[in-house]
Amino acid sequence: DSHIQYERVGADVTMKCGSMDWDAAVTWTANGTDIDESRLNGSYLILKNVDLSQSGQYSCYEGSSWHLKYQTYLRVGTPPKEPVLMCRSNNYPKGFYCSWHLPTPTYIPNSFNISVIHGTKDMVCEKDAVPKNRCHIRYLQLFSTVKYKVTLTVTNALGKNFTTLTFDEFAIVKPDPPESVVAKPVPNNPRRLEVSWQNPSSWPDPESFPLKFFLRYRPLILDQWQHVELSDGTSHTITDAYAGKEYIIQVAAKDNDIGTWSDWSVAVHATPWTEEPKHLTTEAQITETTSASTSSFMAPPTTKICDKGAVVGSGAVAVCWTAGLVVAAYSVLFI
Amino acid sequence: SPTGDSWGIFTFLCAALCNLPALPALNCSEELGAGQSIQQTYDLTRYLEHQLRTLAGTYLNYLGPPFNEPDFNPPRLARAERVPSATVDLDLWRGLTDNARLAANYRAYSRLLCYLRVLDGQVGTAELRHRLAHFCASLQGLVLSIGGVMSSLGYPLPAGPAGPPTPPGAPAAPNDFLKKMDDFWLLKELQTWLWRSAKDFNRLKKKVPPAVVTLRLEARGF
Repeated sequence: DSHIQYERVGADVTMKCGSMDWDAAVTWTANGTDIDESRLNGSYLILKNVDLSQSGQYSCYEGSSWHLKYQTYLRVGTPPKEPVLMCRSNNYPKGFYCSWHLPTPTYIPNSFNISVIHGTKDMVCEKDAVPKNRCHIRYLQLFSTVKYKVTLTVTNALGKNFTTLTFDEFAIVKPDPPESVVAKPVPNNPRRLEVSWQNPSSWPDPESFPLKFFLRYRPLILDQWQHVELSDGTSHTITDAYAGKEYIIQVAAKDNDIGTWSDWSVAVHATPWTEEPKHLTTEAQITETTSASTSSFMAPPTTKICDKGAVVGSGAVAVCWTAGLVVAAYSVLFI
Repeated sequence: SPTGDSWGIFTFLCAALCNLPALPALNCSEELGAGQSIQQTYDLTRYLEHQLRTLAGTYLNYLGPPFNEPDFNPPRLARAERVPSATVDLDLWRGLTDNARLAANYRAYSRLLCYLRVLDGQVGTAELRHRLAHFCASLQGLVLSIGGVMSSLGYPLPAGPAGPPTPPGAPAAPNDFLKKMDDFWLLKELQTWLWRSAKDFNRLKKKVPPAVVTLRLEARGF
């Protein structure tokens, strides 16, 4: 008959060939491959200091008849370490969810049991099909002074472990990030960007539980973010963008009064409106007709720090003027 | 939201009705004021919540361990029930009328204020007395503010408690530890009420916006 055997990594394992006597003549196989007799002690198979690679099917056959006398599936693993548990309310005031995972794998099957106690009451946390290792609870009462105590126990064939979280209803409120963030340039405004977004769809009641927002933006070429906090509305116009520079923009949300900020939304990119440089086209025609070697006498826009309308007062002003003179000199040559 | 035209009509009617001497005094600006008072009351709850954080920290340290430990999570004893609880069934809370919502807040803070005043008379350190006195004054302001909103909307004020609340059958704490437990729960309930009020007034804000068009003629006995 066949069964499963769980053993700890590093343990010494002795397998008996079913009801066969110690001195019977047997052959052991591991995953179909014969095992050398040196590993045997009589008819017992000795595995010392087992490791994960030794997991597999072990079979014992009677010497002469080659009858299968015993079969076992060896699973080498570890008892569970303390699990990592997180609880969060992204749909306040409907309820909250808890999700968990093990910090290191055990390599053998684990079962999880979660219990939620609110004061003296036991509550049922309904397990989600997807994702696994997650369950959700609906609030029966709102504005509770009594804390929730969530205990997660993980058990496997080699041991068990647990962790506990205790929290107030208000402490775990954290919305999902805002959705559908869109950033657009504003026509005829080289320093503006119009950003708009929507409440996260998981937030059930923004009317009674309004969200406030945090917007951050920076040009791709700089590391420092600029921040704006908005207490209402789902749009904002940036008015101090550097002209012609591509921006990266993100938004986060928080319940107006309680809990913590959401993660940042997906980043959107946008570049403020720039005027089409009309004089460039006439100059380009002249260079073509005179068949000059250089294709353009202006540096490529992406590396230039001296765009028209660049921020006045930057340290690059001196360089701007020099480049301007060079450009002027060249353009005179090509006229 | 009202268009410019209907707003103009409303103000005209308001002015016309208010100027008719034969009619009982109709204070049209009360409806307009209610929206702003709700905003002010909301702001006051946020201010108090902030103040309470400092006060509670100081007070719990004064009580000493285990009350000042962040994980302290004692069971609710029956005696603590006399402090009004903000806890409410979710659907019930949603379905509260404006009047009921405001009245619940008014009653709760009136009683909490009474309890806090009793506390004020008992605490040891001067710093605590000073903080408590300041907080009580702000809390009094909140009660008055809620009362003001109720009046401007035409709701009657709930009958307040006569004096320091001592409901029949609830004796003073028999020992020092239980007295401290009472104090702990008082502060907890106060904190929870302030969180709840922010949500209550958010809801009221949406239902009574600053520019209200409906005339409350029925309420005035027309």
